[in-house]
Amino acid sequence: MTAPAMSGDSICVALGGRQILQAAYVDAVPGAITALVGRSGSGKTTLFNVLVGRRRPDRGQVRWLGTRLQRPSLPYLGKSGLFFHPDCPWLASHLSFAQHIAMTSVNDWAAIAEHFQITAWLTRAVGSLSEGELRLTELAFGFALSPMVALLDEPSRALEPLHRERVVHILHEYAQRGTAILYADHDVEAVRQTADRLFSMEHGATRPVAGFKDRPLTEWYHAWPR
Amino acid sequence: MRWPAWLRSALFRSYLRQFVILWAAGKGANAFTALLAGLPPLAFRPLTELAICAIELGILIAFIRQAHEDILMGNIGLRPILALVPLIPLHFVLSGAVALIMS
Repeated sequence: MTAPAMSGDSICVALGGRQILQAAYVDAVPGAITALVGRSGSGKTTLFNVLVGRRRPDRGQVRWLGTRLQRPSLPYLGKSGLFFHPDCPWLASHLSFAQHIAMTSVNDWAAIAEHFQITAWLTRAVGSLSEGELRLTELAFGFALSPMVALLDEPSRALEPLHRERVVHILHEYAQRGTAILYADHDVEAVRQTADRLFSMEHGATRPVAGFKDRPLTEWYHAWPR
Repeated sequence: MRWPAWLRSALFRSYLRQFVILWAAGKGANAFTALLAGLPPLAFRPLTELAICAIELGILIAFIRQAHEDILMGNIGLRPILALVPLIPLHFVLSGAVALIMS
């Protein structure tokens, strides 16, 4: 099996006396789409924030390209090939996609915009876009950077079915090119169709799920011990 | 991310505009407290300027974080505090120019 490009191991986070993450483990493998599935509030976003250094864990370690990071930071990870897509809007609302791209060394942005089907609003301020258009624009910007690892928190949220299909197609495309994709979602059925690997998350703990494509949903998802 | 591209970017220019507004507010507050202390209000006092500049940058970074633009900067490998370093000499140039004009 290919070594993970990024992993979080034994991650523990407590907040206000409540254990948010309990020895959680997750990893992203090059060339595969790994899904982290769990209900809202199960700890997916917190785990992602720990991986990119936006929250310090009480315990646990983050590994990036085989090296243990003492203090992960998004600027360092971004520079070395990570694309982080959180569940909140993160592009500058007063700038257009074209103005965002001008900050990078990406040259073939017109082709990327075409590929993501966002050419209709290339020069519009992203703050004026609908939520679905904005999510798609954010993904186009991130993937334009040709990331080695993409960490996506609910990438298909607020997308129309047609755009959702497009995103799934694009995730597969980038995975085939070798990008390690780790994404969080709570739509279990959609995850089953999209992901190659799966971690289930409940009450801040994770577990890998094998055979999720073939086994009935109730066998592996609702069987979580409570 | 290269410096010339960053300095020419629309995002940096928008931070530049916000920083000039913060500088003007900082200058006003500094002039007011200097008057209360019986000092020349618009004189150039290096240590005070340094402290005010740090506060202005702190406020700007708080705005950036609130808008989640630190994630945008992180994705292109930029650390907000480093990306805003070019604003430090701007603060001193503006304050120095005001002190020179008013002297």
